[in-house]
Amino acid sequence: MDADLRKHFDRAVSDDPGADAGEMALAAIAQGGRMRRRRRQMAGAGVAAGVVVALAVVGGVSLRPEPAEPAGPPMTVAAAMMPLTAPSCSEKPVESGATDVVVFLIPDSTDRQSSALGSTLREDARVADVRFENRQQAWERFRTLWADSPDFVSSVSPKQLVESFRLRLADPAQYKAFRAEYATMDGVGSIVGRVCPASAPVGGVQ
Amino acid sequence: MTDTVTSPRPVEGPRTGALASWSVGRRRAKAARDEEFTAFVESAATRLRRSAYLMCRDWHLAQDLTQQTFIKMYAAWDRIRTGTNLEGYSRRVLMNLVFDQQRRRSGSEIVVAELPDRPGDGTADTPELRLALVDALAALSVEDRAVLVLRHAEDHSVDTVATILGVSVSVVKMRTARALARLRSLLGEDFEDR
Repeated sequence: MDADLRKHFDRAVSDDPGADAGEMALAAIAQGGRMRRRRRQMAGAGVAAGVVVALAVVGGVSLRPEPAEPAGPPMTVAAAMMPLTAPSCSEKPVESGATDVVVFLIPDSTDRQSSALGSTLREDARVADVRFENRQQAWERFRTLWADSPDFVSSVSPKQLVESFRLRLADPAQYKAFRAEYATMDGVGSIVGRVCPASAPVGGVQ
Repeated sequence: MTDTVTSPRPVEGPRTGALASWSVGRRRAKAARDEEFTAFVESAATRLRRSAYLMCRDWHLAQDLTQQTFIKMYAAWDRIRTGTNLEGYSRRVLMNLVFDQQRRRSGSEIVVAELPDRPGDGTADTPELRLALVDALAALSVEDRAVLVLRHAEDHSVDTVATILGVSVSVVKMRTARALARLRSLLGEDFEDR
């Protein structure tokens, strides 16, 4: 009976379309490598313990691959949902002189608000480059970043993530005025500026 | 929501002396790790993907779950490469991903297994029969399905299955018996004949 069952199973998978194992390994090395680096960075920033706390709140963690890190400042789930600062940019947001800016929309932003803001930004001469990240894209990024914590990921839906514009300013000296102006616009939640080299991703986040 | 996860700046600039040899050493270690990992992926990918397919009935999703398994394993490779049963570990990661996927789906939709009325005349290798088994598997609970796939598609021992799933040996035996009985009742004679 067992041997027969085995044959059944073999037949059931006989239409396997196949996949290139070498490519799978390369993709895993690239993405898994990012995960390793991110873990090290998180541990360095002293937030890992907070993440574990956040995970414990949102649900049991099965097969957590790493033991809990020593205690550090608490990190909120909201912070975990934020994009990572690009390594080449200033760690802390700056008040003036920012080269790269992320304009986060309010949590329940509407399409009308985001498209209005998008066209204003694209027409703004101070803005050299602008990209939009919608909730779905934000969620995909979030999901990849936290792929090793499926319970955490499954507790968050795309709706809980905010839309954002990532942009590069033509002249960092204009950041202060730019920020003051956009902070009051309809649908804008917060504005975060950083100092980045030209090689950094637009917006200073990855 | 202004706080953003920040990271310490990596070491930049020219590397000299001890730092340079440390850096070369690290690169070599990475090359060795990648080679070892690639060999593991090549040996494990097909079986993992097939088991994933038996769990989810979708080759595309199966491929995705397998890839996710490898990503996680690479991220933990230094820790697991020695002293860990990689075969068992990879199944455990995969099954956790499957369980998680199932939980996420079950929140938004109810998956109803559609069983064909009768899988033709039962001739071997007809697509109907192939599908019948996979559909019947889908009618089982995800836990029972996992036991069947690990135990009977992959041929792991009861002890190994218990370790992979993190349950007791008696639970594995109980689930196997229940799952087989259900599978038999779903597939009827076509199943028992073979």
